[in-house]
Amino acid sequence: MITCDLLVIGGGPAGISAAVAAGKAGLKVLLLEERERLGGQLTKQTHRFFGSVAERAGTRGIAIIKDLETVVAQLENVEVSLSTTALGIYEDGVSTALKSGKMIKIKPKAIVVATGAFEKFLPFENNDLPGVYGAGAVQTLMNIYGVLPARRILMIGSGNIGLIVSYQLVQAGAEVVGVIEASPKIGGYLVHASKIRRLGIPIYPSCTIKKAFGQDRVAGAELVRLDEKWKEIPGSQFTVDCDAICLAVGLNPLIDLLGQSGCQFKYIPELGGQVPIRDESMRTNVPHLYIAGDLSSIEEATAALLEGELAGLSAAKQIRPGQSLEARIEEVKTHLRALRSGPVGEKIRSGLSKLTGEALPTPSPRTNAIDELSRTGIASPANLAGVLPDEKRKKSRAYAVIECYQQIPCDPCVHNCPFGAIKPFSDINDLPIVDFDLCTGCGQCIGRCPGLAIFTVDETRDGDRAKITLPYEFLPKPVREEMVDLLDRSGKCVGQGVVKSVLNTPKQDKTTIVTVEIHRNLVQDVRQIRVVQKS
Amino acid sequence: MRISEHPILSFRHNKEVHFTFDGKEVTGYEGDTIVSALHALGIWKLSESPVHRRPRGLFCAIGHCSSCLMRVNGVPNVRSCVTPIEEGMVVESQNPRGDLYDHV
Repeated sequence: MITCDLLVIGGGPAGISAAVAAGKAGLKVLLLEERERLGGQLTKQTHRFFGSVAERAGTRGIAIIKDLETVVAQLENVEVSLSTTALGIYEDGVSTALKSGKMIKIKPKAIVVATGAFEKFLPFENNDLPGVYGAGAVQTLMNIYGVLPARRILMIGSGNIGLIVSYQLVQAGAEVVGVIEASPKIGGYLVHASKIRRLGIPIYPSCTIKKAFGQDRVAGAELVRLDEKWKEIPGSQFTVDCDAICLAVGLNPLIDLLGQSGCQFKYIPELGGQVPIRDESMRTNVPHLYIAGDLSSIEEATAALLEGELAGLSAAKQIRPGQSLEARIEEVKTHLRALRSGPVGEKIRSGLSKLTGEALPTPSPRTNAIDELSRTGIASPANLAGVLPDEKRKKSRAYAVIECYQQIPCDPCVHNCPFGAIKPFSDINDLPIVDFDLCTGCGQCIGRCPGLAIFTVDETRDGDRAKITLPYEFLPKPVREEMVDLLDRSGKCVGQGVVKSVLNTPKQDKTTIVTVEIHRNLVQDVRQIRVVQKS
Repeated sequence: MRISEHPILSFRHNKEVHFTFDGKEVTGYEGDTIVSALHALGIWKLSESPVHRRPRGLFCAIGHCSSCLMRVNGVPNVRSCVTPIEEGMVVESQNPRGDLYDHV
């Protein structure tokens, strides 16, 4: 029998964060992870995280996990057991796990369960064919094992996972034939949608899948349009050729292990389905049993990191009272509330209010200007007009165009402007506003925006030439003086331009900053470049 | 298909690992799971369903959906998506299904 103060089950962001918080508070911690490496989903997240700079926003998931692994390794009182599968939680407080084919027993004083979530399935004909994958599975294959499972992929679901995995598939060299979405609006962050639109990937709102074709593997799919009541529109079927179908239609908390513990559950669709009942300190109805991360509610990894810390601190406070952990506990709660406070946090807030019985907080004011954008992922002239300087200012100096039109919890741009030209936020969900008197168009912000939504424009010269500077995360990289294709917000080629500079410093962490000389008339249309392949 | 170059990631395929799939000698790399090695070779069909004998492939890649169960070194119902390959491993489709009493 192994004894410890705290047993943490699950080595993803929530579990690691709980182990670190409890370890720093002096507890003897045992962290179990089923796989051969810590990190959970972080190990395959090549994109930069949203959220607050205080919680590492603007940093790629794969870099965050490297940092966390270092922190865990430095804590002598935190033991990590990899390739270890938790099997049971018993009423006498003993837990069992399988390690190297042997069962081990653990008797901790408290447990944090952070088992994460599981991809939802979708009913349609032939949905069992090989080639129908969870989007997370495809992300695992390509970003962890370096294996591309298909060449032409259809993505089902336009939430953040569907949008992000589509982008990453293109980075890995695949083609995404389209992203379909049953709702009339794009589900994920619109900056992610814009990123894939300018690669030419179509998004079909009000559309669903009827069936997959193929014998021993997927060869295509039949899709159908939906009306405003989500009913199929007769005769609106169309087919697409594809060799894989990715399902990104949401996640369910992985509650099987916790289900053995006597923990109570409640069905709350906004949080992901059956979720454990817990209080604000992440404690369940079972004494000494805490939860964190996607198991408690399906959210971004930033929320998982915070919930993990909260669970770890709360357990530490319960096991070893008398430590001054209260201040940090309150701080973490405040950060979590801020993260969930904007329009995109409305679903989570509504779910949490069902969990705790609290009254709903007043909804934050919404901007209605995003309607066309939220259907297409393409900014309208009206959107753009709101973020550009006046004509006189355009001629005087280069300037930043921040195409961030949706209130999401994210603030790296504010903290990365060396001139303080992006107005400080009062709320993490604020939209960035550029003070064009201070902005020099230096472009420092471009590579730090998790949404890759910042561009700088230089139209100060006379004549018909102007310059645009944009982020670029594909291969091959362009080289100076090379002619490249210029793509607009829908991925359409609108001309060619000459590359004037290619910046690739370690600080940018593989987001290349490219400046292209283009026709003046195109500066507000071009948002992506394509290197012309020499055959 | 292996990704040869990537703008953000680098994949190191150092050591070859040899194993058999349905009697045929195949090769993956150290760090591969059974499924990632088979996918890299263009093998998507892992087994067949027990009753209707429909093809079964990978779905979740985190060891939770049972779609990828295979027989490994004679042991049925191994989750091939989370099981690392080992030199000399014997991997087989389990058709129509894997029964524990086959093994014990």
